[in-house]
Amino acid sequence: MNTTNAPAVSRQLPATRRPGRTAARLLRLELRHNAMLWMLPVAIALFWLTTYRKAMAMPPLWNLRATSMQSGTLLAFACPVAGAAAWTGSRETRRHTTEMVTVAARPRWARLLAAWAAATCWAMAGYLACLAVLYGVTAQQASWGGPLWWPAAVLAASLPAFSAAGFAAGTLLPSRFTAPLATVAAFFVVALSTQLIAGSQSYWQVSPLVTGPWDTGPDAGVATFYPYLPDLPIAQVMFLAGLTIALLAALALPRGSGGRGLRAAAAAVTTAGLLAAGTAVALAGTGKLDAHGMITIPALHDAASDRPVRFTPACSHTAIPVCLNPAYASYLPATVTAVAPALSEIAGLPGAPVRISQAAATYQQQAGNAVSVRLDGPPISGRPPVYHLLLPDQLLGPTMTTSELAAEVRSSAGPAIVASVIADRPGASQAQHAVTAGLIIAAGLPLQGLPPGTTPAADSRPGVRSQPPPEVAPGSPAYAAARRFAALAAPARHAWLMRHLTALRAGRITLRQLP
Amino acid sequence: MNVEITGLTRRFGRTTAVAGVDLRAGPGVFGLLGPNGAGKTSLLRMMATAMPPTSGRLRLLGRDPGRYGQRRQIRRRLGYLPQNLGYYPGFTVAEFVEYFALLKEMPAARVQAAVRVAVERVELGGKAKARLRTLSGGMLRRVGIAQAIVNEPELLLLDEPTAGLDPEQRVAFRALLRDLGRRATVVVSTHLVEDVGAACAQVALMDRGKIVFHGTPADLAARGEGHGIGDAPLERGYSAVLTGVRS
Amino acid sequence: MTADRVREVTAAQHRKTRPARPPRAGVRLARLYAASRRIPAAVAAIAACAIGLRIALAGHWDSYGALQLPLVFEAGAAAAITVTTASPHGDPERVAGRWLPFLRLAAALALTAAAASALAAAGTGAHLAGGTLDALRNVAGMTGIGLLCAAALGGGLAWAGPTGYLVLGAYGLYTQWHGPALTTPWIWPARPPHDLGAAICAGLVFTLGIAAITVRGARDPAGE
Ligand SMILES: Nc1ncnc2c1ncn2[C@@H]1O[C@H](COP(=O)(O)OP(=O)(O)O)[C@@H](O)[C@H]1O
Ligand SMILES: [Mg+2]
Repeated sequence: MNTTNAPAVSRQLPATRRPGRTAARLLRLELRHNAMLWMLPVAIALFWLTTYRKAMAMPPLWNLRATSMQSGTLLAFACPVAGAAAWTGSRETRRHTTEMVTVAARPRWARLLAAWAAATCWAMAGYLACLAVLYGVTAQQASWGGPLWWPAAVLAASLPAFSAAGFAAGTLLPSRFTAPLATVAAFFVVALSTQLIAGSQSYWQVSPLVTGPWDTGPDAGVATFYPYLPDLPIAQVMFLAGLTIALLAALALPRGSGGRGLRAAAAAVTTAGLLAAGTAVALAGTGKLDAHGMITIPALHDAASDRPVRFTPACSHTAIPVCLNPAYASYLPATVTAVAPALSEIAGLPGAPVRISQAAATYQQQAGNAVSVRLDGPPISGRPPVYHLLLPDQLLGPTMTTSELAAEVRSSAGPAIVASVIADRPGASQAQHAVTAGLIIAAGLPLQGLPPGTTPAADSRPGVRSQPPPEVAPGSPAYAAARRFAALAAPARHAWLMRHLTALRAGRITLRQLP
Repeated sequence: MNVEITGLTRRFGRTTAVAGVDLRAGPGVFGLLGPNGAGKTSLLRMMATAMPPTSGRLRLLGRDPGRYGQRRQIRRRLGYLPQNLGYYPGFTVAEFVEYFALLKEMPAARVQAAVRVAVERVELGGKAKARLRTLSGGMLRRVGIAQAIVNEPELLLLDEPTAGLDPEQRVAFRALLRDLGRRATVVVSTHLVEDVGAACAQVALMDRGKIVFHGTPADLAARGEGHGIGDAPLERGYSAVLTGVRS
Repeated sequence: MTADRVREVTAAQHRKTRPARPPRAGVRLARLYAASRRIPAAVAAIAACAIGLRIALAGHWDSYGALQLPLVFEAGAAAAITVTTASPHGDPERVAGRWLPFLRLAAALALTAAAASALAAAGTGAHLAGGTLDALRNVAGMTGIGLLCAAALGGGLAWAGPTGYLVLGAYGLYTQWHGPALTTPWIWPARPPHDLGAAICAGLVFTLGIAAITVRGARDPAGE
């Protein structure tokens, strides 16, 4: 040992004058050795397998990509960071350094906070990298709109909270079983607490996994015609931040971890954090599904976010233009092709729509977690008449590929457009049923789908298709008339309709009078 | 006086590890001798503020370790090497010492230099970038000493610091002790009598929680003249005192 | 006493005690080994998982939650088994004789069997999605992953394997509702209990894990 090399360090050791710099050095040391660094590959692999691939299989709509990212990334990162933080929190006991670090002057909470921060920083860095990739790719693909930042913010608030929870578990119960059990518990809490959600008024919506009415899954219908409502995300961030602050402040509570003042302050901060979290839970319980498919929380609601988003629709250059919200622009060619047969049958008729225009869906909470999604108002309205179309993607159910979507539009929107021109609705005349059916057959569309006169509703998923309406069931007189009408040459059909459509719509034409 | 202890007692359930110790020590190297289980570690842990006493009075560096604010001031000026060094195997030598420098609230600007000096003083300069898991037992012991002295402590408590050191290192360590003892109070617990003779100005002998001898090494050696078993004067003194107490 | 005499006496003692030794010494060794690996605590953790499952099964779950539920507790039990592989002794133990591999093998097998049967027992009488066969397959497979991780990374952080796989397996189940479905047998929790491919994959991973832990043991900890 070296005695000649006299210490170059001056003797007096006052309190740290620049706490920021010391904290930064401490954090740097912790960062170099934190277990979360080792867990990052696991988290990123999970993100890729469960979130990125799924998001990329979805259409490039910001709402779909962002909400599915929130749920998927939460599981991919929250579980590893809870485990890594628990592991970090139990380090001093595992390595038998408790005594040495205790007799160093720095208070326990400051020392532990550095270790917690290291785990959280790595998780955050991994998450931000994943977010950048996912949003970057989506920005390249999306035709309209911009990134939704609230889901990203909820995630950014989730990681510190899960890290703090794991860390607290690790410091309280420093055993080799703590970290794995904390990880599994984090998964259990996140993935299965949502089972308790019933309806939009559930307190459990505060779970950061929830992005909207639970059980509907990522929904392509929200946040395009109206802005993404920040109400629920605000409550979630408040809950998570309150929890994080409470858990971290609790590190300074044990005896000997600070002076009386500090411990009193810690107790106050812990209480404040718990109160904030509790308030957020209560707020989440006052949630309500709004007409645009998102959860509003009256106390947090800003009326400005109820105003529709302005956009210039993407329209086709066809005789009857088809106009979609620009976010769905990639569907335009397929949609135009899908409605073309129906449009060619009705083009030029009095009362035929001059434009097919995509409309916003209206949401309504049903019993339990069920949600109904439909078009509010009649499908055809205005002067000149405009037909309001809901794309199947706006309805609930699994997201579709473009060809699935086109097939769905063809078989549901096509007949519905025809029916709306003939004014064929429940209670209409036999002749109206027959003419609608005849036109549908003539257009080569399937004579099934929805009851005449209605627009696609929530249960119109592929494969869940109703039978031909009973009024025109094969073998009925109406069916025979429809067949006859369809067999006419197109100009003859058109000429007949030009002459008789007004009377037909008024119900003054009988089956007999059909050609 | 840097250390003022009166009637200090510590019990663990029915065991009384330290039974009413009185001790005063100023700057210099103070040796704490005694057989296994005598209570040396318990006494040092109380002096290191790692464990509160069951009863008795303890003043360190003129401050009361029972109060949080004063305890924190003591801890800034304290160096402690526990008997069983815990460490983080993935840290390098320099990182581990730096970690403790930061925990001891050294000003950030001085940390780097202090770490370098401490690592040099235990002759691990060449190993500064080696991970702790790659070090031998004696080297780890020296890392423990380096973290204890990195803040230039005014009160340095070393619990069996020479365990695991090779003879050459032990000689060097005694020189380091003498050097440190010029300004600070250094309390070294050991059961190796030679360490005491070579480095300590004062020595206390503990047995069953009590201090049974307090004086200079020469006094202790004198106690062994004529009786006591052992190869060296100090060893004879040590055994003579213990035999005297126990009979 | 001369050196020769000493040797004679010890040899005689040796001979005398020999026949009585294996059973009693074996039991004692197994007990000490179990204590050193915190196996009693692992058994407690497994029991806690089984009790947790039982309590959770009493609640009301939709079909998706009901499928995920056992998987969570199976992963917990597998992770608890995994962390018992970490040795506190290192080299001294490794050089101390030929029994160690057998102890590791026996501990891993016994704990896996205990976990599978505890979880299956917790599910009897309640509606345990997948049933006993599913529990056995999932516990064995995830334990295998954990043992492989222990051999590769060390016992301390080996739980990352089973818990990471839990997220993946739960996602596999989820994709059965919201496609595109993941149907590879390597994600066995998402396959029905009688699926042969899934059982083979889980069995293979378990066998490899058991072999690795028997032959090599957990790697000495790195990191921190
Ligand atoms: N944490 C503890 N819990 C219970 N007994 C303890 C503890 N620490 C020390 N002891 C007991 O106190 C006595 C003194 O121990 P110690 O101070 O370690 O002696 P030394 O360091 O001189 O060998 C011993 O009998 C020991 O068993
Ligand atoms: Mg001791």
